[in-house]
Order: sequence, then structure tokens, then C-alpha cells
Amino acid sequence: MLLHILVLAPFVAALLVALAGGKGVAASKIAIFFSAIFAALSVVLIAGGDLNAAPIDWFKLPGSEASVKYWLASNTLSAWMVFLSTVLTLVALISARSTIKCEYKNFAIGMLVLLGTLNGSFLSMDAVLFFFFFEAMVIPAAVLIASYGGANRKSAAMNFAIYTLVGSAPMCIALWYLVASSGVTTAADLFNYVQTMDPGMQSCIAIAFLIAFLVKTPIFPFHGWQAATYAEAPAALSAILTGAMSKVGVYGILVWVLAIFNLSEKTLAVMLVLGLVTAVYGALMALRGQDVKKILAFSSMGHLGLAVAGIFTFSPKMLPAVLVLLVGHGLSAGALFFLSGTAERMTGSRELSAMGGLTKVAPVFSFLFGAAGVLALAVPGTAGFVGEFLVLMSLWDVGPIPTLVGGFCLILSAGYMLRMIQGVLFGKRETAIVEEARISPLEGSAIGVLLALILVFGFHPAFIYEVRSTVVDTAVEQAAPAAEESAELNDEEVKALIDKMLAEEEAAAEKTDAAEQATAEPAVETAPVAAEPVAATATAEEAK
Amino acid sequence: MTNLPLWLIPLFPLIGTIALAAISLASSGSKKGPSEGLTGGLAVLFPALAFVAVVAFAANMPVEGIQQTLCNWMDIGSFRADIGFLFDPLSRIMLLFVTGIGTLIAIYSLGYMHGDRGFARFFAYINLFLFSMIVLVLSDSLLLTFLGWEGVGLCSYLLIGFWNADLNNCKAANKAFIVNRVGDIGFILGMLCLAMVSGDLLNYAGLNAFLKDAANVEVIKLLLPIFSLAGILFFVGCTGKSAQIPLLTWLPDAMAGPTPVSALIHAATMVTSGVYLMARLSNLFVLIPGVMTIVVFVGLLTAFWAAIAGLFQNDIKKVLAYSTISQLGYMFMAAGVAAFDASIFHVFTHAFFKAALFLGAGAVIHSLAGEQDMRRMGGLLKKTPVTACVMIFAFFAIIGFPGFAGFWSKDLILERLYTFGDVGPIYYGIALLTAIITAIYMGRLIILTFFGKFRGGEELEKHVHEAPASMLVPMVVLAVGAVFSGYMWADMLGMTCFRDMLAPVVGSAQEAFRAAEVHVNPMMLACLGTAAAVIGMVIAWIAYGGNKHIPAPRVAYPSDGVQATTWTLFFDYVHAIFILLVNVLAWIVDKCVNQLVMFVQWIIGAIAVLLGDFASGFQVRKVRLQLCLSLVGVVVLTALVFIYGGII
Repeated sequence: MLLHILVLAPFVAALLVALAGGKGVAASKIAIFFSAIFAALSVVLIAGGDLNAAPIDWFKLPGSEASVKYWLASNTLSAWMVFLSTVLTLVALISARSTIKCEYKNFAIGMLVLLGTLNGSFLSMDAVLFFFFFEAMVIPAAVLIASYGGANRKSAAMNFAIYTLVGSAPMCIALWYLVASSGVTTAADLFNYVQTMDPGMQSCIAIAFLIAFLVKTPIFPFHGWQAATYAEAPAALSAILTGAMSKVGVYGILVWVLAIFNLSEKTLAVMLVLGLVTAVYGALMALRGQDVKKILAFSSMGHLGLAVAGIFTFSPKMLPAVLVLLVGHGLSAGALFFLSGTAERMTGSRELSAMGGLTKVAPVFSFLFGAAGVLALAVPGTAGFVGEFLVLMSLWDVGPIPTLVGGFCLILSAGYMLRMIQGVLFGKRETAIVEEARISPLEGSAIGVLLALILVFGFHPAFIYEVRSTVVDTAVEQAAPAAEESAELNDEEVKALIDKMLAEEEAAAEKTDAAEQATAEPAVETAPVAAEPVAATATAEEAK
Repeated sequence: MTNLPLWLIPLFPLIGTIALAAISLASSGSKKGPSEGLTGGLAVLFPALAFVAVVAFAANMPVEGIQQTLCNWMDIGSFRADIGFLFDPLSRIMLLFVTGIGTLIAIYSLGYMHGDRGFARFFAYINLFLFSMIVLVLSDSLLLTFLGWEGVGLCSYLLIGFWNADLNNCKAANKAFIVNRVGDIGFILGMLCLAMVSGDLLNYAGLNAFLKDAANVEVIKLLLPIFSLAGILFFVGCTGKSAQIPLLTWLPDAMAGPTPVSALIHAATMVTSGVYLMARLSNLFVLIPGVMTIVVFVGLLTAFWAAIAGLFQNDIKKVLAYSTISQLGYMFMAAGVAAFDASIFHVFTHAFFKAALFLGAGAVIHSLAGEQDMRRMGGLLKKTPVTACVMIFAFFAIIGFPGFAGFWSKDLILERLYTFGDVGPIYYGIALLTAIITAIYMGRLIILTFFGKFRGGEELEKHVHEAPASMLVPMVVLAVGAVFSGYMWADMLGMTCFRDMLAPVVGSAQEAFRAAEVHVNPMMLACLGTAAAVIGMVIAWIAYGGNKHIPAPRVAYPSDGVQATTWTLFFDYVHAIFILLVNVLAWIVDKCVNQLVMFVQWIIGAIAVLLGDFASGFQVRKVRLQLCLSLVGVVVLTALVFIYGGII
């Protein structure tokens, strides 16, 4: 029931907002009320663990036996993504109250519809249903950009819609083919079917799927739509785009690509490199940006590139690492986008050169902006640090070069973030700010909660990964074997040592008697390489 | 007493931070700002409480120290890290002077920051800094130390850029943070190296147990390349935080911050955390003599280099900044020859005399209404006698004049250098030469500031006044420390309580590394050290005494004088090359790669539009034909699917 509410109720809420009479005030109250309930429900969803709603037959795909079902289920990954989308929508609706005054009603309708499609894509068990929501979310987003965006909003919206739709066109065909030929629609069934397929065909389909998600994330070189879209979209929407919609891409890679297909080692390596290139590329572009929202857009791109690179390491630490990184990034990038909207409202410009000196005139805003900027730097104690440290650890399993590249990105991120903070907050201010555009108490506290959550998850990331479900784990395990070899290469040295060490251990054990060995063991146990002291005892006892 | 939880110590400044941040935010709307009495009271109360807590723990510490695990931080199966604290002899010493000097400087700041609009904000940062610094030294694992490590870097950034209306201050702050970030990446990668062997090694106890375990001798031998790499990476982290070559350029610029900040963060506490880390990881470092040699070289070179640079500065704070870098070089020399106890002892005495020097400089700047150029000072001995006395005592301490704190600690380092194998005397020679230069540039500072005639103009001369009591008292306390703290370990007088205290932590590592001590006559070395100090002073007096050879200050002295004389003898240029490389890379990405991607995108779009125009030729206005064509298309597709069981 919870799943159905989270997916369908946003549409109902949108309808109610549409029916609400009067000016924006009533509509905003209804919209914020409902989105607060959805946010609360998403917490319940996380606490509830894995849920699985009964499938309902929807329609039959032409040309096959496959019956497409309306089938929702949740696991930890999707629950946290739903959390991000609902929480950010709530803050977006609050923050938009001061930004979008006259046409708030239509804006809220669009946001709620977008929320429904986002939740739908995160919670779908059925591939076709997922794809339906995956495509559907483009429409409200594009309409919102075209109606409420900046000066070039029309072309940005067109660019966004066409780019993402064209990007997922190959997936559309590939999905149809896959479902039509297999007659099944869930990831697990598709995985079983794919094992019987011709490898060439399989990789064709996998790449078609991948491209759709790479465009959505976006990953270099499919990022052409992103900067302009994020910059032109109203700030509240940009926060959703980066905080939740980009996560659909990463989620799709995990759940709808890695869990189904056996990617060749070459593809995995290419994806790892693409992720790293995106990380560096985003950071460097952010370093040159003049437009605050473009800087944030490229910064998001860089962080997500690191996340994708982390995924394709297939290290055992990868999943919690990426999950924490995604949640941390969603919260901090979301907060920064909301605040950039406030800054734009106050100064009337998005250019760094037109801002500056806001600390003196808008201290509360400056506190929030500075804090959000610093928390986005992956300073220890933030969720971003836990995520990035663990991702670097995963990269380290692949080799030192990817880790160095990741470390380089961390240095660059300090560079562009501090440059942006300096440009927005510090220096002297010549022109006055728009007084009525100041950050409202409700808006400020909502963003403050986001920042507090970053710290909470930074000190206790177990909130995020502890309720890990088995669904994604097994999915990753299925995909992992191909990559495991390369991950182990680096550890060869250590492994050799361990073997040697164990051999010596056994030799020693044979000489001494078992009783002595038993007393010596606790000391050995502290040495992490001696992972199997039990084996040593066994041999010792045999010798005796 | 030992039942009390250790997390109380960092908790106090954390509460202080939150309270002061709340006050600062709540009062941000008002014109006047919060009441300085209340804010100042809170600002001093919490560091003082932390100090009291440390003293209480220190008095009741069992020999083996206290280890407490607060809770789990990360646990992802293959890797686990806890939030735990370790109160042992090393962290005891560090905590005592961090919180003690922190409290004194907070009191001093009450006077120094009086009337500043950012009063509450300043103390919120100071409290946050103390929290981070306490976590840094109190943590029981590298990962939590790293939390403090980046935390102090962050506070340093916030405080250097405290007066953020001036963009030069912000740039100095950014530089400090980014250069530190480079070092921090070294720290992270070092942790990854250790974690590759086992996640337990990130814990100090786990690391020491692993390294000391006789059963692991063979394994350790085989793991040496990884440990060497880790050692180098950690040392890169140290060079960032402790401003050693090649990452030293940020510290002179960091003087843009308020002077109490320079005293607390950029002299007494934060910059010494690199030395602390070396001592903490002593068991790791003694295994890798190659890295230790690098450490000695970097320390020697930095000490010498910074001393030379100190000779040419005209900004009083810049002289002290270079002197700090130089003294940190001494500490790393000591650490490099595995004299970890001596290096920590120098950290300890240096904290007193350098903080006294900085606070004295702050009082001078305060009395001269913000003037920092020594060429416009002079003759202040009579006008500000207390400040002058404090600074002169601290001056004797830093040049190593017999009896003062610096004498004992610097002499110890020199002795340990001398007795270190065959190359020892060479190390010793360079260090001694550096000591002479130290005496010269410090003598120059004292002479230019306090002796001769006042050169700042009559207008300013009338304005000169002694600092208020809230500033003088901490200075006097620190000056007392600068004289007497050396007697904690006066080797020649047989007082070795400092060494005995640290022995449980670093003793075994030192014994393992240093071959049998060569016995030298300590009196001879002490005499040489004293001679160096005296020679330096004499040279300084000949060169600068009696108002000779003092270049006239430039007429158009730039108001942002803090930035004007920045030069770190070519390392700034080396950094500039790296920055340029990154910028060029960014330019290429922006102007070439990105344009190319956009171009390809545009081409595809253009082709699509052209095709669309072409296709629209068919479209005409025949709706039925349209429908028919669409239907035929669908039928063909469906037929294909049926025939082949798929599209392809």
C-alpha cells in the first residue's frame, strides 16, 4: 500500500492542487502539506525494509507473450532514492514560494507530477513500467523549464527533452526486443533469460540500455544538455534534477544494467574510465564557470562521475560507498541549488561577477550558503566524505592511478567550491540587494535541515547502508565475477604474503605442540593477514 | 576521575561553537551586534572547561593511557572504523598546551577583537578550531585524526579569511585551504595504503600491535614497499599542514588573518600537527629509513630556507611566519633522526615562545593602529614596556639563549642530530648555521621594533599605547612559559621528566632506529649552540642597531601590505606553474573538448532538422495517406517480430 501511495498519490495531490481555488496561497499550502506527508512516508519506506506489492496485469506487449505488470517493490537503494526525491520536492515547494509567486499553482502541479514519475521509476519491478516512468518524467520537467526558467528557457527545455528522449530511444527498441523475445519483464527473470542469449546480441542490448542512463546521469560525452538545462531551469527544479533525476541514471545502471547483463571486461573498463573522465571534466569545467548554476551543474557532474567510476570497480565496498555518496550529493547539491536560487533572486543575476559581498547584507543566507559549500567539499564528518573516502577505497582496489585521479578531483573540487563561495559571499558589494527577496525563515530552516542531515549521515552513515537489502547485493554479485579478477590483481602481492605467512604458520605449528599454539593464537589474530588461525590449529592437531 | 568519558573534552568547545554560532546568527539582523560581555564569557568559558577537563584527566591518567570507543563510524563489512579516543602521554602533552594556550589566546582575543562586528563569529570559529584540534590529537585512529586534520584546515580557512570584505584575505584563505588539500590527499592515500593491508592498521593500537608483533617480521619485510609508500604519503600530508617544502607557501600568506589566529593556529597548534603525526606513527616511520632520510632533508632545507627568507621581510608578522616554518623544520629534522621525543619537546616549548612573540606582535600592531611594517616602528621599548619585555624574553627563548626554553629543546635537537651516525655532524653543521641566521633575523625584528627612534611619524607616535590588561595577562603567562617550560627536560641538569613521560609512546621506536648513542660532551654542544645565538645577535646589532641601514619605507605603502611582500624564494613560482597547468587543462577542456562535444551535438541536431525538412515534403496535407503510412509501418514491424521472433 505504501508503495502505491508513494507512486500514485503525487498525481492525486497534483489534481487536488489543480482543483484548489483561490490564488497561490491555498495551492501552496496543499502542495507543501502533501509533499511533507510523502517525505514522512519515504522515511517509513526506508524503515520498512524490502516491500513487494502484488503485481497487477497491465497490458500485453504486442508480438509476445509477455504481460506487462504494474508491479512495485522497494529495496534499500530505491528507498533512499525515493527519500531524496520526496525530501527535495518538499524543500523545492517551500523555496519556490518566494521565487515563483504568481503562478505557483501550476508550478506545484508540475513538481508533484514529476515526483510521482520519479518515485515510479525508483520503485518499479517491471522493466516496461520502469521505462514508462523513466520517459514520463521528462515531460513535466521540460514543461517546468519552459515555463519558469531563465532567459533561454525555451531552447534549454527543447534541448533537454530531445536529448534525453533520443538518448533513451535505443533503450526503447532494445527493451521491446528483450521483453518480446523473453516473455518476462522483471530484472531477475531477464537475467536468467540473458544467460541463454548470444553474447554479441546481449552486449548490443546492454549498451543501448547504458546509453539511456549515461545521458540521464549525465556521463561524458553525453552531457551536452546538462549545463544549460540546470542553469536555465528554476533553481528549485534544478535541485530536483541533480538531486533525484540524475540519480535515476545511476540507479538504472545498477539495477537495470548490471543486474541483468554480463558486461564484457572491456565495457567495464571503458565505463570506469568514462566515470573518471567525467569526474575530472566536471571539476575542470566548474573551475572555469562564471555562472553559479553552471558551476553547480558541472560540480554535480563531477561527483556523479566519481560515483559511476566507483560502481564499475566492483569492489566489495562499492555499494555502500556509492549509496552514501549519492545520498550525500543529493542533499548537498540540492541545498546549494536552492541557495543559488535565493542568490539569483536577491542579486538578479547568476553571474559570479555580479554577486559578491553578500555576507554583509544577508548574513543568514551567507551562513547557509557557506555551510552548504563547505559540506559539499567532502570534509570529514559529512556524508560526502564517507562516500568519497569509500569510493576512493574501491578505486584503490583497481589500482593507484584511478585513485590518484579521484584524489585530484577532490583537490579541484576545493578549488572551484572556494572560488564560488568567494565570488558569491565575499568582497565588497556595490549594488543593493532586492530586500523582499531575502531568504524566508521557513525556507532557511528547510535548507538547514538538509545540511543537518548531511552531518548526521556523515557521522552515522549506518543509517543509510545498514538496512541494506539483498536484492541489489545479489544483482551486483551476479555482475561482479567478470571484474573480480582485475580487482584482485592489485592484491596479488598481499595474497602471496598471506600464503607464505600461512605456510610458515603451519610449519611452526607442526613443530610446537598444540597447547602452545593455542596460547600463541590471540597474538596472531591481531595480524589481519592470518585470517585462518583455525586452519593452523587444525593442522597442528593433526600433527600431534 | 578516569570514569569520566573522554568525549567530554571535545564536547565543550563544540557546545561553545554551537552557542556562539547561534548568537552570531541571531544577532545578525541588529546593527550593534551581540553583547561582548556575554559572548566573550562563553567564548572563554568553553575552552577553559576543556582545559580543566584535560588537567583532570592528565592528573589521573594510568600509565598505559585511557582508550575509549564512543561508537561505530563506518562499518561496511570489509572495512570498519570506530570513533574512539586515546588519552596517552603523547596526547596528554599535546592536549595540555592546545587547550591551555587556546584559553589564553581566547582571553587575549577579547581585547584584540573588541569592537569588531564579527566578534561572536570569530569566537565561534576559535571554538570550532579547538574542537577539531582536540579531536586531531585525542583520536585513536588515523581516520578520526583526519577529521580533526581537515577540520583545523577548515577553521584556518575561515579565520584567515575572517575579514572577508578584502578579497586579498579571501585569496590567502583559499590558498591555505587548497595547498592543505593537496597534503590531505596525501594523507587519504596513505590511509588507503595501510587499509589495503588491513583495515585494522588505521587504528593506532592495531598498527603498533601489528608492527611490533614478532610473528609478523617476515610479512612486514615483504610489506615494506607499501609501508614506504604510505610513509611518504603521510609525510606529504605533514608538509601541507606543517608548511614544509614544497607545500610551505600558504603560511606566510595566512598572516592575513587576525593576529591571535596567527598565534594560535599558525604558530602554536595546528602547524605542529604534522610533527604530532610523525610521533604518532613513529613505529611505522622507523621501519623505513629511506623515508626518514627524506624527512631530515626536507626539515633541514626548510629550516635553512625559511630562515634566509625571514631575513628579508619587513612585515613583522611575516618574519614570525618564516620563523615558524624554520622552527617546524627543526622539529622535522628531529623526527627524521627518530628523536621524536625531542621534536615533541620543541613543539611544546615553541608553542609558548612563538605564541608569546605573535601576541606581542599583535599588541604592537594594535598599539600602532594596524601598522605591520617594521620600518615604521622603532623605539617602542619605552612606550610599550610590558609588550617589549614579553617579546624580548620570547626572543631569547627562540634563539636558544642559555636558560630559556628554546635553549633546552633546540640544544637537544642539535645533539640528537650530531650523534646520528656518520652524516650526523653534517646535519648538525647546517642546523647550527640556521641557528645563527635565526638569531640574526629575530634580532633584526627586536631591534627594528623596540630600539632606536620611532619612524612612524608624529601623528602615529601620539597614538601609541600599551595594550589592555586582557591582552597583557596572557602574554605575560606565555612569557613565563617561554622562560621556564624548558626545565621539563633540562638534560644537563638531570631533569628528564618530559622524556620519561613520552617514553611509553615513542621510546621503543627510537631505540629500534637509533644505533648505540655516540657519547659526546654535552657541554661542548651547548657552548656551540650558545655561541651561535650570541654571534647571531652581535651580527644583528652590527647590521641593524642604532638606526643604521634601515631602508625608508616606500611612500606609497600599499594598504594591503600583508600581500605585498609575499615571496617564498621561488616556491610560489613552482606552485604557479602547477596552477597554470591546471588552468591550461581547464581551458583546453572548456574551449576544445567541450566545444567539440557541442559541435557534434549541433551537427546531429542539424542533420535531424534537415531530414525533418526533407521528410516534411512527404507530409503534405493528406491525413489519410499519413495514417496509412503509419499503419503500414506498424504492420511491417509487427510482422518482422512475428517472423523472426525479434527485430534483428
